[in-house]
Amino acid sequence: MEDLHSPKSDSLRALYWRSEILQVMFWLRGEGFGDLVDAPMIEQFLGVDANIGVTYLARLVDEGYLVRDGDWFALSERGREEGAMEFAASFSDLTRPTHGECSADCWCHSSAEEASTCAAERALHGHED
Amino acid sequence: MARTSGPEAEGLSRSYVRPCLLLLLAEGPSHGYELLEQVRRAGVRNADAGGLYRSLRAMEQSGLVSSWWEPSQAGPARRSYLLTDEGREALGESLDSLRDVHRLLGEVLNRYDLLGEAASSPHVAELSARSVVMR
Repeated sequence: MEDLHSPKSDSLRALYWRSEILQVMFWLRGEGFGDLVDAPMIEQFLGVDANIGVTYLARLVDEGYLVRDGDWFALSERGREEGAMEFAASFSDLTRPTHGECSADCWCHSSAEEASTCAAERALHGHED
Repeated sequence: MARTSGPEAEGLSRSYVRPCLLLLLAEGPSHGYELLEQVRRAGVRNADAGGLYRSLRAMEQSGLVSSWWEPSQAGPARRSYLLTDEGREALGESLDSLRDVHRLLGEVLNRYDLLGEAASSPHVAELSARSVVMR
């Protein structure tokens, strides 16, 4: 089993797990595995101990990103928006406009959904503002 | 009674997930769900979505795989995965090591087969019978 490595400082670690949890929930939705997670699933997917994972899940509920139903957690509307921004901002060169590809007033800078659509179009046809 | 556990039911160990993923992604970009199905069909029958996700994330952090979210008209965005040049090199290294394992296992099986042939030959059977008499 491969482990992910979180930052050492508390504040960065909280941001890191927020991002990881939201991303895994988006991944599960996208692959059709469902909309709900619990602490053991977070342990299975992210390698964070379930007892610790549940505190991050509860924190995300407090922050409005998740809604809780017993032991299960689902993305709130705010969580879905945040997750969309996370996936637009992270990892991919395709979803991150590079110099010369988009002008400053391109809509892809203002909306995660627009950024994804823009990236897909750029991949197919090249970018047009 | 049918066996429900053990090597036959479980297939290959989870340590083969990474070489499987490298090979599958060398064949073309793919999504998580398809990769999970293909890894299971490739022999890692007890592969699970959580382990797959962690493997892909770790491989991405190591630069072996790149990924992006692919918008869908029909539903939520899906993550697509693509093998990088570094991933292709890692696949070559993994396959070299699998070939070594394959060769070593072949030698063990050959020796076992020779043992079986020797045990069933008339000469050995006669020697075994004599040793029983001598005792």
